[in-house]
Amino acid sequence: MADLDRNAEAARGAIRLVDTLLRNARSRTVMLRIPAPAIAGDNAEQLGLATPLFQDVELTPAIFRTASAKVAKDGSTQRELLLSATTVEALTGSHNFASANTLFSTATGILVDDTLLIILSAEEVEAGGIICGYRLSLREAPRTN
Amino acid sequence: MQNMKDTFYITLRDRISAINPARLVLVRGESRPAVVVEENELPSSFDHNETYVLRWTETKLDTGGPLPLVVMRCEIRYETAGNFGNGGMDRGRILSVMDAELAAAINTSPQRAAKTNFANTAAMQTNIFWSDVAFAPEQTINERLSRTVTVEVFSYQEAGER
Repeated sequence: MADLDRNAEAARGAIRLVDTLLRNARSRTVMLRIPAPAIAGDNAEQLGLATPLFQDVELTPAIFRTASAKVAKDGSTQRELLLSATTVEALTGSHNFASANTLFSTATGILVDDTLLIILSAEEVEAGGIICGYRLSLREAPRTN
Repeated sequence: MQNMKDTFYITLRDRISAINPARLVLVRGESRPAVVVEENELPSSFDHNETYVLRWTETKLDTGGPLPLVVMRCEIRYETAGNFGNGGMDRGRILSVMDAELAAAINTSPQRAAKTNFANTAAMQTNIFWSDVAFAPEQTINERLSRTVTVEVFSYQEAGER
């Protein structure tokens, strides 16, 4: 029992540490764009005639890893975004998603100012087996010129 | 062309649903028959496991007849990792069942349907019709088995139709 208490305390400590690091490392706010649930049996939505409503949910603190930006052959840029586990878990619970991965795979993308970035993948950042944050791989739209 | 694509999708979806009502997929929190059109869904990923995913590829237009004949190729892709309870060892059997359901839905007579404009749910004057399915060899990607089949879908382009 004492071991469990110590592990839980260590987990809370690690999460607090990552939250503090993110807040103090020039963090910013981004928006997660989530579609509304599908309408059951609606042909128009399944045929692409009607589009779902979208909701923008605030994610903060968030940090872009500028050193990890990559430009693909088609001119699109891939970037990494670090998010706090506390924020993601609160959002996952409040919107009744089964898991953070479901939340990110359902989302349309991340809205940064006026630019929508597509989520390519989401990975947990762990320390000692505890999820402290999430690393999202994002893709910007290719340049047209 | 859009009416042909829409009519083929709805026909295939309803036939698959009649053959196996339990073949469902969860899309944005709602359960529906596991037949989706790739271009009608959000570009963000969703679980394609044991779902028929339609993709429209080639289009040809034959203007030799009284009405232009449109021929479009539809690729239908599906994959399975097997049943987790069986350690995925039944993935070959599940893929075979999916092959059989798709073949039954497409190859069963009549291989035609009344073309419908789903923007105003109006039946049109002509039918769409389609070929038998052509199965490509199955592919193995990690623990998943997948297959792509192709179907040629035909339709006469009516006056004023886009």
